[in-house]
Amino acid sequence: MGRKITIPFGSQHVALPEPVRFVFQTENERITDVDVDVGYVHRGIEKACMTKFRYMQVGYVVARVCGLCAISHTLAYVTAVERLMGIEVPKRALYLRILVSELDRVHSHLLAMGHLAEVAGYENLFMHTFRYRELVMELQELVTGNRIQFDYVCIGGVNRDLTPEVEKELRKKLKTLKEKVFWLKDVFENDYSVKYRWKGIGVITERMAKELNVVGPPARASGLATDVRNEFDYLPFKEVGYRMVVRNEGDVYARNMVRAEETVNSLEMLFNVLDGMPEGSIKVNVKGLPKGESFIRVEAPRGELFYYLKGNGKMVLERLRIRVPTFANIPVMKELFVGMEYADVPAVVISFDPCLSCTAR
Amino acid sequence: MKVDEVRVPLRDVRKAIKEFYDPEKWHFITVNGTDLGGKVEIKWFFAKYGEKEVFKVFTAEAGYDDEVPTITYIIPSAWISEWELADLLGLNVEGAKKGLFLEPDSPQAPLRRG
Repeated sequence: MGRKITIPFGSQHVALPEPVRFVFQTENERITDVDVDVGYVHRGIEKACMTKFRYMQVGYVVARVCGLCAISHTLAYVTAVERLMGIEVPKRALYLRILVSELDRVHSHLLAMGHLAEVAGYENLFMHTFRYRELVMELQELVTGNRIQFDYVCIGGVNRDLTPEVEKELRKKLKTLKEKVFWLKDVFENDYSVKYRWKGIGVITERMAKELNVVGPPARASGLATDVRNEFDYLPFKEVGYRMVVRNEGDVYARNMVRAEETVNSLEMLFNVLDGMPEGSIKVNVKGLPKGESFIRVEAPRGELFYYLKGNGKMVLERLRIRVPTFANIPVMKELFVGMEYADVPAVVISFDPCLSCTAR
Repeated sequence: MKVDEVRVPLRDVRKAIKEFYDPEKWHFITVNGTDLGGKVEIKWFFAKYGEKEVFKVFTAEAGYDDEVPTITYIIPSAWISEWELADLLGLNVEGAKKGLFLEPDSPQAPLRRG
């Protein structure tokens, strides 16, 4: 007969960057059941977008869903509006959108990799990763004006052009960043401590990933070849060297390596974007009001982001729905915990890179 | 974008999704509710793996007091989207608990009109 203990994990926990609460029922430290509460930072953003703000303002409101994912939220919203209203965005603006979108992916993936090093007790690696993440934030500031919470993308294009001075600085810093990211990838891939701490832990099989509709790097780390950049034409990723990263192990190590390899691919795409940047305007004027419904999928750093909107020809939308990647991955996390050792919980939670600001919105 | 939208009576939604859904081919995105005033339009969204912009959407309407059938027997991960419907639109979804986002003293069914 084992010893049964109830262990709360969160809402505030040293391993958690954001508030979520899991309550684990354990028997001899093996988890037998779990309950989850994801609603700590619910702000009623969908309601606000349907009552208080005009549709032209909503892109700036959804950027406040989450500081880090701001680019993805605004991009998804404005693309849904543009498709609904038949707006053709200039090619230069599409390339600039790829630029900020992939910079954000690098930023987010380095954050996740750093946190994972931290929960493994590898503080030195955590500090190195965050140091190089700082470089990305400097680049984002150069391009958008902000380190986080960017208001860069707008309906019809983008708000700010790339000057020759900024481009020169970008190339210089991206070159440094690429060297550092290759070094980080090598450490995360081959270091004895992290390799043997994470291999075989928190395994999601491909079948599980399909049955539980897993999205993002956790899906691709389980052999499920799905990436919205490949399944939805919201930006011309194929023109700038996008390639899907898929691994089959399904464990914490694989999820981390998918992020590391995607970071490398994002940096390659960033150089290609700068090399192939089209000339021309960055924005078109928008007239009219949204009428009808539209939905869109975007590959945010954490996975598939889904936006649904419905307009009735008025300034305020009738419905805006946001389904974020972490929300989609909560069911598999819950399944995964049952049968697992409690000691593995922090690494497994962080390997999903959960964003609770997005989930609760 | 290729969207195949099927309108079904609420009582037949589960049967229709069961006949259609193959987890090897289709990815369940979410279920969304839009309040139409007195009733809610519910849409179940699916995307096809590996294909460009191919979607299947099931649409049904539910009165505020109707019981919305759960599809968790077919798609286990749908529970979280169904709980959200119950919480934010105040719908009576089979087996769903309230309180995913809202506290007991929060405004009830905030995404309803009015």
